[in-house]
Amino acid sequence: MSRIIDRGLEEQAALLAKMGELTFETLETSIYGYLEGRNVKTQVREMSDVLVAMADKVEDQTFELIARFQPVASDLRTIKSYMKIGNDFARYGRYALDITSIAEQLGGLTQCEAWIQQYLSLMSQKVLFMVKVSVDSLRRHDVTLAKTITAPEREVDRMYLEFLNKLISDASASSKCVASGLLVTRYFERIADHAVYVCESIIYVVTGEKANLG
Amino acid sequence: MTETQQKPIQPDPQAKMQSINLDVWFGQKQVLKSINLSVKPNTVTAIIGPSGCGKSTFIRTLNRMHELVPNAKLNGQVLLDGEDIYAKNVDPVMIRRRVGMVFQKPNPFPTMSIYDNVAAGLKLTGAKKGEDLDDIVKKSLIQASLWEEVKDDLKKPGTSISGGQQQRLCIARAVALRPEVILMDEPCSALDPIATAKIEKLVIELKQNYTVIIVTHNMQQASRVSDFTAFMYLGDLVEYGRTKDIFESPKSKLTEQYITGEFS
Repeated sequence: MSRIIDRGLEEQAALLAKMGELTFETLETSIYGYLEGRNVKTQVREMSDVLVAMADKVEDQTFELIARFQPVASDLRTIKSYMKIGNDFARYGRYALDITSIAEQLGGLTQCEAWIQQYLSLMSQKVLFMVKVSVDSLRRHDVTLAKTITAPEREVDRMYLEFLNKLISDASASSKCVASGLLVTRYFERIADHAVYVCESIIYVVTGEKANLG
Repeated sequence: MTETQQKPIQPDPQAKMQSINLDVWFGQKQVLKSINLSVKPNTVTAIIGPSGCGKSTFIRTLNRMHELVPNAKLNGQVLLDGEDIYAKNVDPVMIRRRVGMVFQKPNPFPTMSIYDNVAAGLKLTGAKKGEDLDDIVKKSLIQASLWEEVKDDLKKPGTSISGGQQQRLCIARAVALRPEVILMDEPCSALDPIATAKIEKLVIELKQNYTVIIVTHNMQQASRVSDFTAFMYLGDLVEYGRTKDIFESPKSKLTEQYITGEFS
């Protein structure tokens, strides 16, 4: 027999699933625009604004569910975590917008040295993979999948530091490319952190365990 | 962290009250099954569970009130400050003085004034030497958050005040005996939300001076007022732990199902 809170929880889950799809699409659009030298800022801004509005809606739903149904146990963990994940997804959108702003201000990556292009392309693939893991973990409430996020997160952290060292040792790189690469790899690293937060939230929802996957 | 049952159970030196392997039967029917629960002093412990799970019976064993039921039989121990309240030399009346009880429906003595209702227990069992009855009545009504509302009407009948006030009067009556533990059996079930809120606030205040054990059907009430929660089902203690843990991440699937309303 379903409970009266179930409908609200299902609505919230459906909204987050849509956010998950949009958040991946937003990051893909932004990152490929940056890598390929296309100006996609207007498009990404619209998508990011939608994500922020959806996160606000998830928050409103959370408050309504608490006020009306006084959830406890797995229900409480779920709505608390859904609100947090909504904010993580909105942050993905804001980082996507930040990347397009870098492209607009400093020019596309196509003007930079080949090794920088290759490095950022490789790092972006790892970050997009992590975002996909986080979205799929949420959609399926898959703890096993969520726990796989640690290895790529460490790889992204390692790549970020390695990129900094390479930039320091490569005096030939243009200042625009250095600035662009520094900022964008920093955004990649932050996006990866939010993917970890989403996966930690899924583990908390399902098991009650406060995992540290970073 | 949730505290689970461990056997064999030893007396807990930190406990104000403790049940050890407590079994209770009414006739042939076993209503409590090896209950092991340790209640810390100056805390509020909520006992929750569906109707018939044994929670009211359990708290009645804590001051030997279940003995008033014909055919009641008990095995195991109930310790108060480490002493077994069922030992042969223990007077049940003294136990009930140390472990007071507030019932579901407010039950002031109908023919007595507000003052006499509070003083009734002391008059029956005798005030201690040097105690001033007026002073005790006033302090008890203050502790029950009722003094300001009735201080000019102490001679009026106890039944002349509202239901919520009557329940606080019963709490004052219990407090007047200076118990160490106060048992409450669904004390708000007959009250409106405003009176309920006052009792809940009072329960939290009372734990500064007393150890409180409260039976409630209201999950939100348990989560609001208690430090520890015990979930009982069909005479078993299923889970006992900090209220935050029970209501956030219960260890038992049965507890989860009960508190989230998934019980079929």
